[in-house]
Amino acid sequence: MQLQNITLTNYKNYVQTNLSFCPTVNLIVGLNGAGKTNLLDAIYSLCACKSYFNYSDGQNIRHDSNFFRIEGNFLVENKSENIVFTYSVQKKKDFMRNRLSYDKLSDHIGLLPLVMIAPDDIALVKEGGELRRKLLDTTLSQLSSDYLHTLILYNKVLQHRNALLKQFAEQRLYDATLLQSFDTQLLATGRTLHQHRQTFIAALNPLLQQHYEHISNGRETVNGHYESALNQKDFALLLADNLTADRLQQRTTEGIHRDDWVFQSNGFALKKYGSQGQQKSFLIALKLAVYQYIYQQKQQQPILLLDDIFDKLDAQRIYQLLRLTSHNPAFGQVFISDTQATRLEAIFHDLKVVYKKFLVEDGVVTVFE
Amino acid sequence: MNFPSKLVEDAVNEFAKLPGIGKKTALRLALYLLSQPADNTQNFTTAVSRMRSDIRFCDNCHNIADGDLCGICSNALRDHSTVCVVENLRDVIAIENTEQYRGVFHVLGGVISPIDGIGPEQLRIDSLLEKVKQGTVKEIIMAISPTMEGDTTIFYISRKLQEFNQSIKITSIARGVAFGNELEYVDELTLARSIASRLPYESYMTAK
Repeated sequence: MQLQNITLTNYKNYVQTNLSFCPTVNLIVGLNGAGKTNLLDAIYSLCACKSYFNYSDGQNIRHDSNFFRIEGNFLVENKSENIVFTYSVQKKKDFMRNRLSYDKLSDHIGLLPLVMIAPDDIALVKEGGELRRKLLDTTLSQLSSDYLHTLILYNKVLQHRNALLKQFAEQRLYDATLLQSFDTQLLATGRTLHQHRQTFIAALNPLLQQHYEHISNGRETVNGHYESALNQKDFALLLADNLTADRLQQRTTEGIHRDDWVFQSNGFALKKYGSQGQQKSFLIALKLAVYQYIYQQKQQQPILLLDDIFDKLDAQRIYQLLRLTSHNPAFGQVFISDTQATRLEAIFHDLKVVYKKFLVEDGVVTVFE
Repeated sequence: MNFPSKLVEDAVNEFAKLPGIGKKTALRLALYLLSQPADNTQNFTTAVSRMRSDIRFCDNCHNIADGDLCGICSNALRDHSTVCVVENLRDVIAIENTEQYRGVFHVLGGVISPIDGIGPEQLRIDSLLEKVKQGTVKEIIMAISPTMEGDTTIFYISRKLQEFNQSIKITSIARGVAFGNELEYVDELTLARSIASRLPYESYMTAK
């Protein structure tokens, strides 16, 4: 799969920009604040229906404007796909595929698979479980519409159940049948999600190990361990056991929404004991493993977005990463942003990579063929 | 919008409160009434205000009625042992328009949704249970929207019914591909469910 061209209108600091990309490597160079990340986020938004960095659609409108528009032409298995994402203050969000608006945005997820690596992603290793659940969810949603629909349903049931527990406490009443009416749906959806996550995490581990060794030349054994209360106990028993706690705290204390994905190196938690270098290598290996898993499942090369990650990596790791993305047949179109061109261009020449260079200056792009 | 008359302005503002009517349509309606004989307006307002003040709700099924019972519940020819449970009045009208249903109804007034503060006590579930306790009802048909909240409501009512009546037949309207639909345009979720709950060929043909 590849993105052939993109047109940005009033998006972030871009007034009106039209860019054609090359099917291999696209190098986006510019100073901090020039708009490199905005360009990558626009590409991400066309595939995922929302910003990678959790910006609201309104925040992505250029100052003094009241709408933005992103249009992209993709080539998916030799078929062209025209995607248009518009957001205006009055008419809100509209997402179109080949000039037809989607009824539900969830129908778009998975059509254009992609993986992004950004500097702040290191929080995946260092911070709490919420970010790791989000990575699980966004990855699995790209692969299975069943997962996405089940997840939406689970979250809705959970919201209702929590509201109900709160009302029970406030009104000092308790209706076991009513709670059970929600529990049956929570159980069915929760078990499906657990199954999906378990399968995915197990299948990812060998890929993770392989990429970690390649990136870091490290000999440690790394893995992601799926921590879920559902691993030991059936969900129905779990809800029954936690009933008193749930009623007391007025929310559902255990379930899929509390899962974690613990990253380990030689059996120790990477979050606590990993060095900075190990954590960074792990993060890159994790994302590449996710990339490769999507490729294996879909038999289609996702787009890879590398946002400004080279400031934090040493020359050896950068070289290994770029050698992989340019010589492994699983990898297709890549977008890389960096503050300077020289070090990456030197590597591209060494690896004989065909690339196209874009210089971004304050929302204005100059192209070098 | 500027009006030469406060009387017209008031009328326009009232019309514009109705769903689907904007200021311009409201003005058109007000001016139309003015162009017609005064009697027409009199008849119109009398009909509307009598509807609002004299309307009754059926003691038995909570459908709209002119007396204690609605036209459906007071009809001896209908099958009072079959009760179709629906969310609102519009659903009653929709099912009646099919001319296929000979039983009676029970209007809940909504579905269970704790986020919106709607629990069983805000709905007419107790009166349904009372009706079944009297022992004449043989089948309950759940004709409730196939949403998460709808499914919860069906589950809740079914459990409550089974607490005191194990023999009652509880059914739900079929879910799946609509008549006249091309399969390729059906959304995946519906299609997946339709395949999971497929029907034997013979029953499918006779059901038509």
